[in-house]
Amino acid sequence: MQLKPRGRLPAAASARRQLMAASCALLGASAVRGQEARMAPADSGFLEDWSVDSALAYYHENGRIQAVEPVVNVSKLFADGQALDLNATFDSLSGSSPNGALTSRMAQTFASPSGKTSHGYTTAPGQLPVDPHYQDDRIAMGANWTVPLTRVDQLSVGGKLSDEHDFFSATVNASIAHDFNEKNTTLSFGINDEYDALQPIGGAPVPGSDYALFEKTGHKSKNGAGVLLGLTQVMTRNWLSEFNVSVDRFKGYLNDPYKITSIIDSAGNTTGYEFESRPDQRTRKSAYWENRVAWNQQLSTGLSLRYMRDDWGVRSDTAQLHLHWSLFNRDRYVEPTVRWYRQTAANFYTPFILNTNAATTAYQSSDSRLGAFHALTYGLKYAQKVHGSGSRGESEFSVRVEYYQQTFNERLATPAALQGLDLYPGLKAVLVQVGWRF
Amino acid sequence: MTLKQASMLCLLSSTAIAGGCASLGVKPWQRDVLAREDMQLGANPLDAAIDDHMYFSKEASSGGRSFAGGGCGCN
Repeated sequence: MQLKPRGRLPAAASARRQLMAASCALLGASAVRGQEARMAPADSGFLEDWSVDSALAYYHENGRIQAVEPVVNVSKLFADGQALDLNATFDSLSGSSPNGALTSRMAQTFASPSGKTSHGYTTAPGQLPVDPHYQDDRIAMGANWTVPLTRVDQLSVGGKLSDEHDFFSATVNASIAHDFNEKNTTLSFGINDEYDALQPIGGAPVPGSDYALFEKTGHKSKNGAGVLLGLTQVMTRNWLSEFNVSVDRFKGYLNDPYKITSIIDSAGNTTGYEFESRPDQRTRKSAYWENRVAWNQQLSTGLSLRYMRDDWGVRSDTAQLHLHWSLFNRDRYVEPTVRWYRQTAANFYTPFILNTNAATTAYQSSDSRLGAFHALTYGLKYAQKVHGSGSRGESEFSVRVEYYQQTFNERLATPAALQGLDLYPGLKAVLVQVGWRF
Repeated sequence: MTLKQASMLCLLSSTAIAGGCASLGVKPWQRDVLAREDMQLGANPLDAAIDDHMYFSKEASSGGRSFAGGGCGCN
């Protein structure tokens, strides 16, 4: 596939790209998002003038999961203003995944999700129970098509399919955007619908059932729908702002089929386990505000704030700041990033069930992702543009590194037998990513 | 901050922005800085997608910038 016209001179390509970026900017605030695709000339063939954005990410947790994720995105901005965006992602995950059970002073033996004894595993005293045989591959493909309806209105429709051996997801979305105030203001409205099919290994556990009884049923599903209202405003020559509010609602089997909760006695000894049991619906609401400010020719910042709450009792606040520092006539840039996040626990989150509780009739989950914690991310990105020659135009190589750390906030009173054990180990992870776009 | 407070802040911000539309914004020939790559809201979509996937699989919240999609069985 020929992605670039032959014989384009680098300098001409660079100048053309700048002109196209300026042209896009003239289209209004709505065209600002994702305008990286360079506009193709009117006589461009369908297979010509595509922009390619690719990345390979490696994610590693301390003693747990690691993942390799190649991603590629190809897009084309046609001369008539239409834009087509196609993307593909592949994930390969392996390692050890926490099964939700509590660390104990005794060795703990677990069956595999399939029930095969040959895949069972034993956790040593004092260690966090993890399934050491975790292995999953995922492939996802998506497409998005944007078409101008009038000089100030545009419609965008898209969809995504994602497939794993125990999970399938299909999503469709549509949004419409309207520019006004000399295209300094854009209002947008979008809807999203998602269908997920779960085919857990060994079947889907009956929520809240006794782990030892291995009560599992067939496949399960869940559905989600959401709406998003957005306002993008050019504030000044150097300041762009976006504000979104969104609501989504999921119904169906919302449990993690591989998570169990320990049942302990008053002394802290584990007496059994239950499969987790979450409500079968969840509604989330969020408000999001992002600002881009250029301070001078070399320096700009992006600051985003998000508030989210759901009817499970989770409240979260997120703040992310990145600094973009251009160097060497904008041929290179450095982007340090810091992100702060905190969330409250879901109402039914509990790291363990005391066997004096009537837990079998109540919702419960020991999934740490539903607990109260705060997290910090530190990141650094370096990118360098390369001016090609001959048939190759300008391209950009980048390297990005992130360090992510979760720390738990709330800790329940610990029974005597569990004193001194690390029941809330938190999470530390590193992400390394290399990117190439042309 | 409660959702009610956030909604009020949203309403006030929207009103301020909508009310101030006449005085906000730039002329078409003043979009030079806004045309810079680093000033685009979706300048690095793959970085955002990879980050969103990581946070989606490790936290109870997702979305906000766009739809809070699932698309994986990791949560």
